[in-house]
Amino acid sequence: MIRLGDVTYFYPRATTPALAGVTLEIPTGQFCAVIGANGAGKSTLCYTLAGFVPHFYRGKLSGGVEVAGVDVPASSLAQLAGHVGLVFANPFNQITGARFSVREEIAFGLENMGVPLEEMATRVEDILGFAGLRDLAERSPFALSGGQQQRLAIASVLVMRPPVIVLDEPTSQLDPIGSREVFAVLRDLAATDAATVVLAEQKLEWVAVFADRVIVLHEGRIVADGLPGDVLASADLAQYGLQPTRYTQAARAAQAAGFRADRDDLPVTLEEAVEFFR
Amino acid sequence: MERLRRDFSTITLVMIPVAIAINIAIGQLIYTLKVPLYLDSIGTIFVAAVAGPLAGMLTGALTNLVWGLSGINSFYTAFWITGAVIGLVAGLFSRFGWFKVWWRAIIAGVITGLIAALISAPILTYVNGGVTGSGTDVITAVFRNAGLGILPSAFAQGVSSDPLDKAISFFIVWGVIRALPLRFLDRFSRAEDIR
Amino acid sequence: MSTSFSLYIPRESGMHRLHPLTKLALVAFCLVLGLFLPGVWLTYLAFMLLIVPLAAWAGVLPSFLRAVFKTALPVVISVFLVQGLFWPGGTPILHLGPLSLKQEGLQFAIRSAGRFITVVSSFLLLTFTTRPDGLMLALSQRGFPNSIAYIMLATMQIVPRFQTKANTILDAQRSRGLETEGNLLVRLRALLPLVQPLLLGSIIDIEERAIALEVRAFGRPGPKTSLLVLHDTPAQRVLRWLLLLAMLAVIGWRLYLAIAPRLAA
Repeated sequence: MIRLGDVTYFYPRATTPALAGVTLEIPTGQFCAVIGANGAGKSTLCYTLAGFVPHFYRGKLSGGVEVAGVDVPASSLAQLAGHVGLVFANPFNQITGARFSVREEIAFGLENMGVPLEEMATRVEDILGFAGLRDLAERSPFALSGGQQQRLAIASVLVMRPPVIVLDEPTSQLDPIGSREVFAVLRDLAATDAATVVLAEQKLEWVAVFADRVIVLHEGRIVADGLPGDVLASADLAQYGLQPTRYTQAARAAQAAGFRADRDDLPVTLEEAVEFFR
Repeated sequence: MERLRRDFSTITLVMIPVAIAINIAIGQLIYTLKVPLYLDSIGTIFVAAVAGPLAGMLTGALTNLVWGLSGINSFYTAFWITGAVIGLVAGLFSRFGWFKVWWRAIIAGVITGLIAALISAPILTYVNGGVTGSGTDVITAVFRNAGLGILPSAFAQGVSSDPLDKAISFFIVWGVIRALPLRFLDRFSRAEDIR
Repeated sequence: MSTSFSLYIPRESGMHRLHPLTKLALVAFCLVLGLFLPGVWLTYLAFMLLIVPLAAWAGVLPSFLRAVFKTALPVVISVFLVQGLFWPGGTPILHLGPLSLKQEGLQFAIRSAGRFITVVSSFLLLTFTTRPDGLMLALSQRGFPNSIAYIMLATMQIVPRFQTKANTILDAQRSRGLETEGNLLVRLRALLPLVQPLLLGSIIDIEERAIALEVRAFGRPGPKTSLLVLHDTPAQRVLRWLLLLAMLAVIGWRLYLAIAPRLAA
């Protein structure tokens, strides 16, 4: 369960808030996507959930942030580790460099948490399979492709079993193959319900496939919140600096030409598009 | 005490390997370009300037240990003391605001270089037989021929290269600090000392 | 391991299987021998009878000797030339044109070379036979700060990447017309456009890396466990203590030799 109560945040030396009056409740197990134009506050929201706002970035935070029963601003980063996991865009910067194999790199977080050896070995083994990294287990983390490194970063966080996982545009620095690999893992994650997931994303086609809920941020405020089918097909997306999915665009173009002009449930995924155009 | 704790924040801990890597990368590049300088302490001096003398000491000492134990230049290992002293002195200069003005930074570099030569001379004398194995040994030979002892000759050799090398290094660090965005510098405990 | 900054060669040897602290103790003992053995020739004995056999046992002898040779050669040549030929007021034993080889200088050079070779080969022995992460773990388990262990290991893996980055920046600047050959001033001026991008480009990286470490509970106090398991034996524990005593004995002997004449006088 994630609870944000009227959260407003100013980065140091900033005059306009990065987040303004954000109130949000995400129930346990939900997969919630956060979309918005660049600068809308997606990253800031991610860092706020993980406690890096305000503990790392300092600045002025007001309002309540409660994640899985823990008051985030009142806890230290060390206390929050293992409670909220964070994955961000640059895969290389998430490799600690302190371990020489993929397997040991994944175990790093568990070692810091003092998890006993046998349990640690089992959990690492399971996660290697989940993230599709089993063949790479003995390889150096620096000898991986971007997509593999990002899957390693996700695995390294997942293995700590945090109740909440936040991902800030995890595919934005990856090539199409890497993006696909990461989304495959996220889709599996969405299916497990093991954690509450918050995903900040620009690739709306993917968001539509596995998010339970989509929130739109614009200039630090929540301007839309609902099911993917509703939010992503909405005509308001353009004013928030977003472009609807290809499927929605195609359907709109068809409707403008007179095809199925009476329907308001425009497609946002491939399956829905196939259904729409049948 | 509070400053000590802030000096060794996670961000300092993450910066030190990067600084050491920069020391080694630039040091080896300089060697390839056949410039008769070392320029292998820029990272150390930077860390000392932004995170204090103790962090600087650690960076300097570990640079020599990692570089030496990597096997590539294994005799550097013995000079960890020099590396530590460079970091310490640079950190102290920073504490007293010498990185705020370019010419003060250069003077600080010259003094640091002299101290480095002073510290290295006994190590060179005892472990290396008073020579470095590089071109500056010509200077050592000249001073030996003039009748100077092994230790003073090694020191004279150091004086011929270290002060200039550190002066340039300090100047480069001054330049980099000026080019850094303020919000990055704010993270460090010593921000008020350097800009 | 090929992507890290180290000459470590993994092998299935008895030496490699030793606990990292045992290897450290052996190397420290060789180092003490190199630094504190009196006389001119004893260090050569230490090298031939202790260090070389250990390297052979570890199965790394050819690469090891190559590395020792490569590191020691410049200094050895230099010490013979500088101290041998320019020893002030020495007894000449060989004339080479205007210069002459002095006996005291030659003796000093032989002694220095022996010491230098022993010291350098001790460090190289550690490099070739010991996994860095194993060594750091062994030290951490005995109270060595985790932060320093992290720094050393991360540095080893990051250095090759920075070397590549530096070369890339150099090539990019060269293709933009940066002069890197020529007189000293030219080459010196080639430096600034190299150093700045290298440093400034690392800034954002540093922030994100710090965040990633916090996420992985690195800042968490309390005891840590380890996936890597080190194997120790009682015999090795005893050996380490014996080596420590031997080191102290050698240092004590050397101190005695230095002080005794003064006491007698």
